[in-house]
Amino acid sequence: MSDAGVIHDIGYQRYEGPRLGRAAVLGALYQHGLRATFGLGRSAKSKIFPWGVAGIVLLVAVINAAVRSQTGTWLFDYYAFDDSMSWLVIFFVAIVAPELVSRDLRSGVLPLYFSRPLRAADYVIAKVAALVTAVWLLLGVPQLIMFLGGAFTSKTGMRGVWHEVGLLLPGWAYSVLWAFVFASISLLIASLTGKRAFAAGGIVAVFLMTAPVVGVLSVLPSRTANDLAGLASPMSLISGVEAWLRGRNDLGIDVGDFGVIYGIEAFCLITAGLLLLLARYRKVASL
Amino acid sequence: MSTVAYITARGLFGRRRVLLLLPLPLLLVGLALICRAYDVDPTQWGQAVVQGLGLAVVLPVISLIVGTGVLGSEVDDGTIVHILTKPLPRRDIILAKLLVAGGVSAVAAAVPLFIAGVLADGVKFGVALAVAAVAGAVAYSALFLLLSLVTRRPVLLGLVYILVWEGLLGRWVSGTRVLSIEQYVITIADRMAPTGMLDGKVSLPVALVMAAIFAIGGTLFAINRLGSFSVAGETS
Repeated sequence: MSDAGVIHDIGYQRYEGPRLGRAAVLGALYQHGLRATFGLGRSAKSKIFPWGVAGIVLLVAVINAAVRSQTGTWLFDYYAFDDSMSWLVIFFVAIVAPELVSRDLRSGVLPLYFSRPLRAADYVIAKVAALVTAVWLLLGVPQLIMFLGGAFTSKTGMRGVWHEVGLLLPGWAYSVLWAFVFASISLLIASLTGKRAFAAGGIVAVFLMTAPVVGVLSVLPSRTANDLAGLASPMSLISGVEAWLRGRNDLGIDVGDFGVIYGIEAFCLITAGLLLLLARYRKVASL
Repeated sequence: MSTVAYITARGLFGRRRVLLLLPLPLLLVGLALICRAYDVDPTQWGQAVVQGLGLAVVLPVISLIVGTGVLGSEVDDGTIVHILTKPLPRRDIILAKLLVAGGVSAVAAAVPLFIAGVLADGVKFGVALAVAAVAGAVAYSALFLLLSLVTRRPVLLGLVYILVWEGLLGRWVSGTRVLSIEQYVITIADRMAPTGMLDGKVSLPVALVMAAIFAIGGTLFAINRLGSFSVAGETS
């Protein structure tokens, strides 16, 4: 059948169509990451934890909206909502960040990824974007529910709705800040170990152990130390940025005249987290 | 049994992972030292450092990492099969693992708590905290060892227990305190050396009995579970 000299042509068809480039790989990785955060396309078991957290957050938002429409006063406004959900956000990133990066380390797919037209930076961007989107959705959707509750019970017609929009948008921006701070720190920790269990423990430990530091610094006998105390913990750092931008010192954290330092540190923290992540993926081990 | 304990201890200490256990105790001691150096009144910082960091974070998180690590990592790696196929009673395996987990967490949590307690109030408070921490470490270890046998995601469930049950609910819903190891530890330490810093919310008999139930019940149930353990693949 075959001529002499041809080893074997068993008739596999060659692919000669267009090949998708970096952007498509990046997009696919982002989409896959975002789906993985909520366990979509996976078994029911991997949906329990993320949806459990999302369910609690949604429930709080619904209760908040209901209380407001009945009594006219908030339990939390859009900002305080994020602050009071901080423990659940910590738990959420502890579930999701190892799912995004530790799994890839453990199963050894990184050499396969990086043998495609995908750079380390693309991988990091896709994973960070996926986690930022997920955390933002976790906080932003309940805020939208609170907004809808407020808008539909508005007593002053369109003007009231418009006023409510003016409250919601900064609230969403605040959630974006939360998402960036938590995503950069948690992905950095998770990228250090291939064991999801250890990564989750490490993330929670890092976030929780910083909170008492703030408590201690704020009782030291120095006004400057008290004003700068919030810098020690990501949660109070974000509140400090809020207090600085809104020019208020009655939000449970007193930043004194150092508000701008909170802004700078938040920016530096996010940037440093992302740069360290990039540095982490300069070199990946093959199995 | 001593070989199992030896292998487990080597698995814990043999790798860089053990360094994870260092920062938390160091932070606890460091904060206490800073406060002491600035002569801040212990009633102001004692609660934040000893209870907020020591009993609410250091003790449970260390017990979680160690307690789920001794058996959970072997289940993950599949090396548990090698131990299960040896002619050893399952009881001995669990007891050896529990001994290592409880011992390591007790030392890692009790020593810094003792130092912080001495700095905050005096030797009596330090000893009380250390004893309570050892009791808590044993109860936590039994619970988390059990979790690593009944579920494939022991760390996440353990975190739910620490963050949501003890952290969020324990603060507002008083009923959950009866099932919270953190509250037993606080009560035991508070009764041994009454200071204004700790506020035990359950009675001492409840704390002692429930801590023993957690420790013994968790162990017995874990032995039972390991008796009919099925080895499965990676979780999805």
